[in-house]
Amino acid sequence: MALALITAALGGCSSLGWGLRRQPARPTGLGAESREHPALSGDGRLLASLVERGGRTTVLLQDRSSGQVLPLPQLRSRQPHSSPSLSWRGRYLAVLVQQGPNREPVVLDRATGRLHPLPLPPGRLPLQLSLAADGRRLAIDLLDNGQRRVELFDLGGLLEPEPIPGQRVSGGGEATVP
Amino acid sequence: MRGRRHAWAVALLCLPLAGCLSSPLRPVVGLNQQLGRAGSRQEPALSGSWLALLTGRQGRLQVQLLDLRRGLPVPLPGLNRPDSQPISVAVDQQGDRLVLVRQREGRTELLLYRRSLQLAQPIPIEPAGVPRRLSLSADGRLLALEVSRDGLWQIDLLELP
Repeated sequence: MALALITAALGGCSSLGWGLRRQPARPTGLGAESREHPALSGDGRLLASLVERGGRTTVLLQDRSSGQVLPLPQLRSRQPHSSPSLSWRGRYLAVLVQQGPNREPVVLDRATGRLHPLPLPPGRLPLQLSLAADGRRLAIDLLDNGQRRVELFDLGGLLEPEPIPGQRVSGGGEATVP
Repeated sequence: MRGRRHAWAVALLCLPLAGCLSSPLRPVVGLNQQLGRAGSRQEPALSGSWLALLTGRQGRLQVQLLDLRRGLPVPLPGLNRPDSQPISVAVDQQGDRLVLVRQREGRTELLLYRRSLQLAQPIPIEPAGVPRRLSLSADGRLLALEVSRDGLWQIDLLELP
């Protein structure tokens, strides 16, 4: 399915005191359904979450303000998905997918459409991911011989860094992202 | 001839290993040594040069904030309590605002902790629900929160002051 524009009206906002404002996430177009594991892009414009599609847990990427669902064709047939994580503007989406009998971290580059598999050594089961906003590092929560641990990985040689406003990029100068 | 046969045998032996050897994941050695100390580590949240996570032993968890530039944890006075159990955590890119879900006295609560103020404030959840996972925008102003209500998991978006 290509782009699906969600036109449902936004539910009422509510004020919860001390300046807090709440609103439900934009609907996904299928009525009341469970949505889990939210992941915001660094700039807050995109929201990834997990929904059930055809009985399989699938990552859904939405523009937060318009509700538009953004297509992720590279992740089809790799369900169940889990633990989505986004870079600053959502160019990169890290997510756990099913690859044969294994759970495997992947990073989808939405700018190029390329999917980067990041297999772990045998015996390590990935549980959760957290991607740095510039895409240079990935933290993996994993089970290693029964021990739950977090490891950090450098993706600098794999992904082009996503510029972050006000932050110096390698080579000097300020990033030019508006 | 024998040498060529030998090279083929080595190539065939290496083939099954190619998948793992070709992984582009490069461990950040120094920081992984810090993370590899005794006890469990879980629920990582990267933001800027900060890594928030839960650490613990024998089921007792605590929130920890690592300064990735120095490779060291920073103090979080007033946040970790012996009568509470954190469930998930997120941090802004300044390393100042942490939002966490924790269980205390049989209830699950949502908190905003300002490191600069050393102050933890509860965030109300309305309509009532049980929070679990969360995600914070880099500026720490927008929170996406997974909440259980009426048998469904929903996602609330909260603009924080």
